[in-house]
Amino acid sequence: MGFFVFLPLVLPLTALPIAKLAGQHLHPRASTRLLTLLSAVLAVCSTLCLGLLMVVGTAQLPGNPLPDGWSDPEVRAAVPGAEIAGIAAIAALAAAAVAGAGTLRRHRRIRARAHDALAALPPGHDPAVLPDATPYAYAVPGTPGRPGRAARPGRVVVSRGMLDSLDGAERRALFAHERAHLDCHHHRYLLAVRLAGCLNPLLLPLRPALAYATERWADEEAARAVGDRRVTAHAVGKAALVGRAGAPHPEMAHFAAAETGPVPRRVAALLAPVPPARGWPHALTPTGLAALVAAAGTATSALASLNSTIALFLILKAATPL
Amino acid sequence: MGGKPFGRALGAPSGRGGSGGSAGASGGYGAGGPERARRRGQGELEAQVLTALHHAPEPVSAAWVQERLGGDLAYTTVMTILSRLHAKKAVTRERSGRAYLWTPAADEAGLAALRMRRVLDGEPDRDAVLTSFVSALSAHDEQVLRALLDGADPGGPAPGRD
Repeated sequence: MGFFVFLPLVLPLTALPIAKLAGQHLHPRASTRLLTLLSAVLAVCSTLCLGLLMVVGTAQLPGNPLPDGWSDPEVRAAVPGAEIAGIAAIAALAAAAVAGAGTLRRHRRIRARAHDALAALPPGHDPAVLPDATPYAYAVPGTPGRPGRAARPGRVVVSRGMLDSLDGAERRALFAHERAHLDCHHHRYLLAVRLAGCLNPLLLPLRPALAYATERWADEEAARAVGDRRVTAHAVGKAALVGRAGAPHPEMAHFAAAETGPVPRRVAALLAPVPPARGWPHALTPTGLAALVAAAGTATSALASLNSTIALFLILKAATPL
Repeated sequence: MGGKPFGRALGAPSGRGGSGGSAGASGGYGAGGPERARRRGQGELEAQVLTALHHAPEPVSAAWVQERLGGDLAYTTVMTILSRLHAKKAVTRERSGRAYLWTPAADEAGLAALRMRRVLDGEPDRDAVLTSFVSALSAHDEQVLRALLDGADPGGPAPGRD
């Protein structure tokens, strides 16, 4: 026993290198699913661990409602600095709950406001083309039906300014891209990883990695639908440059200069051949090796997380007189 | 404005489930609680008023709009919606005696565009929910992107892409 009980809290640190490898070497669909699963498992493990720490750390405080067995010296010996860890865990759990609730609320509010804005246009208008010179295109995720409220299907919103900057084939690529976001439920993956980041801030770096993976996924779907990768690449590139023309300031150019942003990487990926869509790349190629390393790393960190969570759980269970 | 703009649907106490429910359903908002019904109904009502104005042969009064909408809405509600549309520059008005005459300035799509812009401008964190086609470019990105597109396009800006 010892510090390993804290392992689930710091293991999410391994997620970032895995995300980088996955982003470079896996098909974006596999990458999206892997990253979401990884962050969900790590977030659940770290939250469970926090919960158990809280229980162990506070079980001996007078007046607590927990079983007496949980304040045995053996149990406390399993967790170094049990009292401090317990109090810290309460604070951490409270912060995670607040952040998670805030994220969910914001998600619902933005979705509802977007649907309200589009309520003036009947649902038949798909994509909804809005007379606005500012170039933008969004996929608004649908809302599930509830008692007393009908479900609202997902919608694609495109401004006139965006459409005017693209030709016919590029418009089809744009629509296919946004449709793919809705059809493949990308917002669910994005929300899951956002919530994971609330539960353990070490998972925050996975958000941009996942956002990139979903965009690439939608790009690949669009390229398949249009049947032309170059047209899709041009649609993405032109749309970004048109939006750039309207930007008032070259924001943060000096700080961002070192690393290439997501849009050029997407265009470059679309100009490259189709990534292998199914299964793993061959194990003896550099790509295959990297993928294997990524998979092994994912499995190791998830299993180690689970292991220490379960160990802590078993200690408490053994100490519970039932 | 007050919390009860659509008096009939909201005023029905839950005890009178039958009649209250049907009134709510005809207005397009069901048993989702007063606050939710108000917020959800807003976009649809603005669209209805705007559509009515579009069908008017000339600048019309609020009473004309109310009648056109079937008398389901209170006069003050219609006035509230018209003022809101005016604040969004979706309608124009001119004084005629003691009342205003209203003319549409935007169609339904224009109204949706105005409302959408408010969402986009008012929610800095929107990209987490509404997946955008492209994200912002840094100056460095722009250079890389132009080089990529030029390289992909040896024949000029738009080679045989049809």
